[in-house]
Order: sequence, then C-alpha cells, then structure tokens
Amino acid sequence: MANNNRRTVTVRIQRFNPDADAKPHMQEYQVELVQGMTVLDALHEIKTHQDGGVTFRRSCRHAICGSCAMNINGRNTLACKTPLKNEIDKHGRVTIRPLPYLPIIKDLVVDRTTFWEEYLRVKPWLIPPDDIPEKEFRMSPEEVHALNNAETCIMCGACYSSCAVIGLNKKYIGPHALLKAFMRVLDPRDAAPAERLAEVSGADGVYRCHTIFNCIDACPKGLNPTQAIETLRKLAQKRQKYEQARRERQKHLNEPIP
Amino acid sequence: MYKTTGFISFFLRRLTGVALVIYLFLHILVIGSVNAGPEAFNARLNAVQTPIFKLAEIALLAAVVYHALDGIRLLIVHYFDVTEYRKSMFYAVIVVATILVIAGGVPIFLFMLETAS
Amino acid sequence: MRVFQMQRISAIALLIFLTIHMIVVHYPPFHINFDNILVRLQNPVWKAIDIAFLFFVLIHALTGAYVVITDFERAFDYRKALAWIAVVIGVVAFIYGSMTVWAFQPPA
Repeated sequence: MANNNRRTVTVRIQRFNPDADAKPHMQEYQVELVQGMTVLDALHEIKTHQDGGVTFRRSCRHAICGSCAMNINGRNTLACKTPLKNEIDKHGRVTIRPLPYLPIIKDLVVDRTTFWEEYLRVKPWLIPPDDIPEKEFRMSPEEVHALNNAETCIMCGACYSSCAVIGLNKKYIGPHALLKAFMRVLDPRDAAPAERLAEVSGADGVYRCHTIFNCIDACPKGLNPTQAIETLRKLAQKRQKYEQARRERQKHLNEPIP
Repeated sequence: MYKTTGFISFFLRRLTGVALVIYLFLHILVIGSVNAGPEAFNARLNAVQTPIFKLAEIALLAAVVYHALDGIRLLIVHYFDVTEYRKSMFYAVIVVATILVIAGGVPIFLFMLETAS
Repeated sequence: MRVFQMQRISAIALLIFLTIHMIVVHYPPFHINFDNILVRLQNPVWKAIDIAFLFFVLIHALTGAYVVITDFERAFDYRKALAWIAVVIGVVAFIYGSMTVWAFQPPA
C-alpha cells in the first residue's frame, strides 16, 4: 500500500458459462495495479496470466469501436477508457458485470440482436434528395451545432442497456436508434424526415421514453439521447410542415452558406 | 438494475401512480354510496374516518405531492432544454415534496389526535 | 402519441383541479358528512368543477395505467384491447361519478 506504483487490487468479474452454470456467479481476481492501467488492461492481464476462460469483447482499445461496453461498478461504460485506479479509489475494488437487461451469451458477452434490429429499423443511412449538388453537400455551423455531437455515437450499447424501458420491453426502439433517427431527421441533406418521424412516433417509439435520463448518465461519449427524444417528440407533431421546410432548404444546397 | 436518480424518480412515479389509480377507484366507490341516500353516505364515511385512515391520508398526500411535483419536473424537461440539471431537479422535487407533506400532514395529524381523544 | 398528449394535457389540468380539490375539500381537516359536503355542492359551479375534475382525473389515471401495463413486453401486443377496456372503464366511472356529484341534493 505504501508504494503507490505497486499494489494489488481486487477485480470481481461476473462469470457465466452456459454449458456448465445454471446462473451467473462472481469470481475474484488479484491484479497488480500499474500506473495508467485501464479496466480493459486488467481484463487482459487476467485473461493472459490467470484465467484464459474469461470472455469479453474488445477491439480498438481507444474508445472508438464500442466493443468493450460493460457494467463497471454499477455504471455502463467502456472498459478501455475507464482508468482502473479511479474505480479503485472510488469503490475500493472493481466489479465488472455484462451489460444489464440483455441475455448473456458467456461471461461479459451479451446478445445484442434486438439492439441491431432496432438500429436498422430507423434506417440509419442518409436518404439523399433527387437533386444532388455537383459539389459537396454543405451544412451551416448552426445546423451542425443543432446535432449536439450526435454523429459521434459509436453504437456501444451503454445507453440501450441502461434504459429501464428496455429492461421491461425490448420492443421499444431504444435510445441509440432514436439518437440516430434524430441525427438523420435534423440533417439538412436528408430527404425523408417525415417518413423517419412517422416511424419513431408509434407506440414503441419516442412516446415510450419515460425520461429516466439513464442514457445520458451511461453514454461514454457524453451524448444526450434524452434531449434528442424530446426534440423528435416536438417535430413528430408537425412532421409534414417540417418536411416542407426541408425541401425549401434543399433548393439552396449549391449556394454558399449564409 | 441500473440505479440512478432518474431510476429512483421513475420507480417512485410508477409506485405512487399505481397507488393513486387504486385509490381513485376506491374513492369513487366510497363517495358513490351517496347514490343510496344520505344515511348510507354518512355511515360509509364514518367507517373511513377512523385514526388509521387519517394516517393513510397522510401517505396519500405524500403520494399526490410527489407525483405532482415529479410531473412538473417532467413538463419542464419537455419544454425546456434542461437535461443537464436532471440531478438537481430531482433533489429539488424531494425537498419541496417533503416540505409540502409536512405542512399538509401536520393539520391532518392534529385533527386525528383531536378526534381520537 | 394521442395517449401521450392526453396524459400531458390532463396532467396540467390536474395540477389546477387537484390543488383546488385538496385545499377546498380537505383543508382544514374536518369530519366529513353529507350535510357539510352539501353546503359547497349546492352551488352548481362547484358541481361543474367537480365533474370536470372527475373527467381529467379519469383520463390521467386510465392513460397512466395503460402506459404502465403496456410497458411490459407481454402486454404490449394487446394494447388495442387494453385501450378499449380503458375507454369502457372510463365511461362507466364517469357516468357513475357524475351521478354521485348530482346526488348531493338537499333532501326533498
């Protein structure tokens, strides 16, 4: 303890092997805390040197692929951008569980089928207008600002699996897909905002959100799905008018930005 | 389970909401006894004005006050861009609700002691 | 969307009506019996206020119950039927409640 650079800390991992276990159980590991270590580094340390059976998803290790989202000390976040020392200082030890509310495949790996199905449902691609300008589509700084960084979402699933509505009802579209829909609806280059708004304003869409704010608390990128859902609710009530305004806007795609 | 202030507020909103729906229909039935005449009404109302029911009334007041303030909080979130203040708004609701319940509960409690003696 | 808007509108109405109801009907606390309720309800304006209150409170309660129930995945597919059940309960309770408010007449 005296030497801050060399100390052993406890990492608890929820284990579940579908072939052998009836239900998940916790297993403790001791890891030597090296300065600058992340929770993902600790998982690697355990997998390479202590227990090769520990299963988790990871890819890029610098918070852009969204593979290593898991529940660390009760909060959904990316293991690769969570410093191990911060968690130890705050809670004394690290407890790692898979993302809540989703079926567990093995250890920290969850089944994200519904997550991707709902994602595809909102058509997360650009539907361009018939008249495509010869040069690039340009957005004004205000229009970019209105997106509120929604384009930086990495689809990690932290918001989806923190949502209490998802815990009750997997037919809800979910904050991740609604954030994508919000981004496409506000995008001045998109030609079908009314269709998108109609898709998300059903009984399983924006009106099933109960404003619990868990998605904001969970998002490792600091995005705001709740506000996006509020905006979609407002726009959904005047979607034809909104589409009309969009068509007007798209007549000026070639002109310099005001 | 994902415990945050948002989840607590959601859970309490659901709990008080369901309790109030059940109470509402009981309330309609109790007051509805007047359809059978004033005597039936007085008899039924006497049965539900014992001290125990008065205590339950304070719990009812707490449920109503919390549910209403939480609703006001949600309406504010709907119409203004204030999601970054979500935690302070929740704590404000709890504080204001506590003050209102104490302010409203004391007269009921004193009345209960008065009628009990 | 309709359910959501019904709930918001009735919520705003209830903020007003329920405040009136609590302050006028329950404070300061008194022993409720037919005669002292009658004093207030002899005024037709109070009867109208109580019936409007009943209307909004039923909308809010039933849409709320509908949302709570359809939040469960198993009930979600039956939401059409649940909505109709809510409408029936609402109409019956509204008629019964209005009769109750009307029944506060001075004994002939």
